Amino acid sequence: MAQAVNMKNIVKRFGPVTANRGVDFSAEKGEVHALVGENGAGKSTLMNILYGLHSPDEGTIEVGGVPVVLTNPRVAIKHGIGMVHQHFKLVPSLTVAENIVLGSEPGNGLNFNRNVAFRQVRELSKTYDLDIDPGALVHDLPVGLRQRVEILKVLYRSVDVLILDEPTAVLTPQETEELFVNIRQLANSGKTVIFITHKLGEVMSVSDRVSIMRDGRIIKVTNTCDTSAEEIASDMVGRPVLFRVKKREAQPKQPILSVSKLVVDGSRGVEAVRGVGFEVRSGEIVGIAGVQGNGQDELIDALVGLRKPKAGKVTLNGHDITSCSPAIARDHGLSYIPADRMRDGLCLPASLWENAIAGHQRNPQLSRGPVLNIKECIRFTQELIDKFDIRGGSASTPSKALSGGNQQKLVAAREMSRNGEFIIADQPSRGVDIGAIEFMHNRLIAMRDEGTAILLVSADLDEILSVSDRILVLYKGEVVGEVPGAHASKDAIGRLMAGIRDEGGEQVV
Amino acid sequence: MSNPGDSIRSKERRRAQFIQKTIGEIARPAIAVLIALALGALVIYLVGEDPIYAYKQLFYGAFGGWGAFSATLQYTTPLLFTGLAVGFAFRSDVSNIGVEGQMLFGAMAAGLVGYYVHLPMIIHLPLTIIAAMLAGGLWAVFPALGKVKLGLNELVLCMMLNPMASKLTSYLSSYPFKAPGPTNKTYDIMATAVLPQFTPFSQLNAGFILALVTIAVFWFIENRTVRGYELKMVGLNPLFAEQAGIGIDKSIYQVFFISGALAGLAGAEQVLGVYRAYYDGFSPGFGFDGIAVAMLAKNSPIGIAVSALLLGALNSGGIAMQMMTSVTRDIVKVLEAIIILLLAAEFAINWYKVRRNRARQSENRR
Repeated sequence: MAQAVNMKNIVKRFGPVTANRGVDFSAEKGEVHALVGENGAGKSTLMNILYGLHSPDEGTIEVGGVPVVLTNPRVAIKHGIGMVHQHFKLVPSLTVAENIVLGSEPGNGLNFNRNVAFRQVRELSKTYDLDIDPGALVHDLPVGLRQRVEILKVLYRSVDVLILDEPTAVLTPQETEELFVNIRQLANSGKTVIFITHKLGEVMSVSDRVSIMRDGRIIKVTNTCDTSAEEIASDMVGRPVLFRVKKREAQPKQPILSVSKLVVDGSRGVEAVRGVGFEVRSGEIVGIAGVQGNGQDELIDALVGLRKPKAGKVTLNGHDITSCSPAIARDHGLSYIPADRMRDGLCLPASLWENAIAGHQRNPQLSRGPVLNIKECIRFTQELIDKFDIRGGSASTPSKALSGGNQQKLVAAREMSRNGEFIIADQPSRGVDIGAIEFMHNRLIAMRDEGTAILLVSADLDEILSVSDRILVLYKGEVVGEVPGAHASKDAIGRLMAGIRDEGGEQVV
Repeated sequence: MSNPGDSIRSKERRRAQFIQKTIGEIARPAIAVLIALALGALVIYLVGEDPIYAYKQLFYGAFGGWGAFSATLQYTTPLLFTGLAVGFAFRSDVSNIGVEGQMLFGAMAAGLVGYYVHLPMIIHLPLTIIAAMLAGGLWAVFPALGKVKLGLNELVLCMMLNPMASKLTSYLSSYPFKAPGPTNKTYDIMATAVLPQFTPFSQLNAGFILALVTIAVFWFIENRTVRGYELKMVGLNPLFAEQAGIGIDKSIYQVFFISGALAGLAGAEQVLGVYRAYYDGFSPGFGFDGIAVAMLAKNSPIGIAVSALLLGALNSGGIAMQMMTSVTRDIVKVLEAIIILLLAAEFAINWYKVRRNRARQSENRR
């Protein structure tokens, strides 16, 4: 088969950090090529180079056998390389067709020919069997279809190589399956799909070949059928990895958090949480499953004190913390790993130690009265760095210099070392590699065994399934089902997440 | 793992990083000052004077001998206070540009307590200074209230409160508390409330020492205390600070009050050390110059000391230049304006970037 892209000896440095140390990467025409590796292994850097977002310090890139210099995404697209990012870049108030043609609209420059755009999009969706209504408004579409729009947007620019950056992170299991069918079809029609992921199950089920990165190098390229998920995992991490977290039966004791009839308004003034009630007891992990945007964010915001609930009651350790500030909730024993490290999980311009001590700063170990003991703060941070294997900086580096996964480890390290009685872990392993996920899950379970009450929110069903003792499924702001963790099946939960009850498959609400 | 060569290398690297960072921080304000001086030279040349001669006079006027230097320090003193007041607030993302008004109320309080209260110096002087700080701090609570309770923009509030403060203090010194005589001023303060002067050449007084001590204290507060750390986080990422349990509203009140109290100190120094009474219209805009000082220093207390000295020197040197050449001291205002414009452009760009990023992030979250 012909080579679609061929990257040779790519070196990329960011200041003192070398992200790619002489990478050779190639993908063939018509294949699905998975690119896997731990956080900071250099996958995203490599693909950003291929998409023209970064220029390499050394090395050459060939597209279809011809050497090219990709200075920006526009040039990359011209050479037939397109990328779908993890965060969608769509205009919600425009139609599907308008979004797809945006930037290269049919027409004569002044006039936008909507009918031609609709026709082109309809043809495009037929060609690739990506079914979509060109006239639908994007903000009415579920996430899976929005992703389809993103893919069509790239195909509209007639690319041959499609890079997907962790495309399944926001999808339900059913949506993921549909995506895989689409990916296979694209490959069959001669497109090359490069697929960045952390999830090895997906690698096994959809890819033809897999390239494994570690420490800025590609250490192995192999046919997917010649390898196994276990083998890939140990190649990525450099040691054997256990897939199932080992844990004992939970020994739940007294309730720590109780929530009753909680109603919370969302940002647009509609009720996002509609009468939710549950308990989290000491020594158990309660998982909240649900497709993003079904009230998880608002529920957590209300529990933490970042959003005032409209009705209902929240008690933590017997204290009424409904409508309390985060400071008070934290005083009563709350620890909280926010979902978005860039937004409120970290203070990116500040140093690692300034981030690590947040919430600990009045701890007598770190401050004497009003005076901060900076030496002790740095020692404390160093401890977290060692314990959680945070790579890419020392205690005084600004935290924005860390890679995403390492930033996430920093947030988790800070909150897990608070020894509170209750911890909310919102997407704790988002963007973190297998090794670190394993570590984090084991930490959560160890904390549980020490008597901490844990509420786990995650868009990743595998994470919910492997860690939780009880699983609540949130759909349109309501708890539509509770499943014991030990007997939960992915399918059943997936159906609940999509709002379909088991009996008769009818739609909930 | 830890061979000695590694630690030496890392020490060297850290030193190199530190030097690089320091140069980076000094470079931009230094470039702004140099561009301003170059443009100023052009203006001086266009009015038919020799720019080099004029700048030489400016330099001698500011640093040539103890007399000139003490005048420079006298001009520097209020800028140390107002620069710190603005910088402390900016650091927490509180845009207190109402320092001018807060300073006027501080000065008025100092003038009144300095005259109407009779106590031994050891009590009277500190009491007067505290009164000035309280007055400045309380006037600064108004914009804080507006920001927290009503969600108003503090920039607008401060801009509207400044002329109010100016008119109110003007009224107080012209009618109810006016001393007899042709000038609108309050009664001369008691000797027990005077900040002693050091030299016959200028009105440099003990307030300068107080300013240096204040700078040192705030360096410590900002870099070594728990609250200083918390307020820094509030300034850098309020969402982060809030979820970590640092109350934003409380911080806004506190920062406004402390910033206003520092502005009040600037007023106290002028009244107790320089004029020994409240004179209507005594301030040439120290509160506004404080904004330039803080921006030039990127809010760091030590940087504020340096940039206050720079602006103080330009002001006192400008008088000498005006005497020796036909260039009026207004050129100094032109230089200041250019520096502020250049820095404000950078400031605006950064602010825009931060806003854009925040907007993007919250969009991604929804």
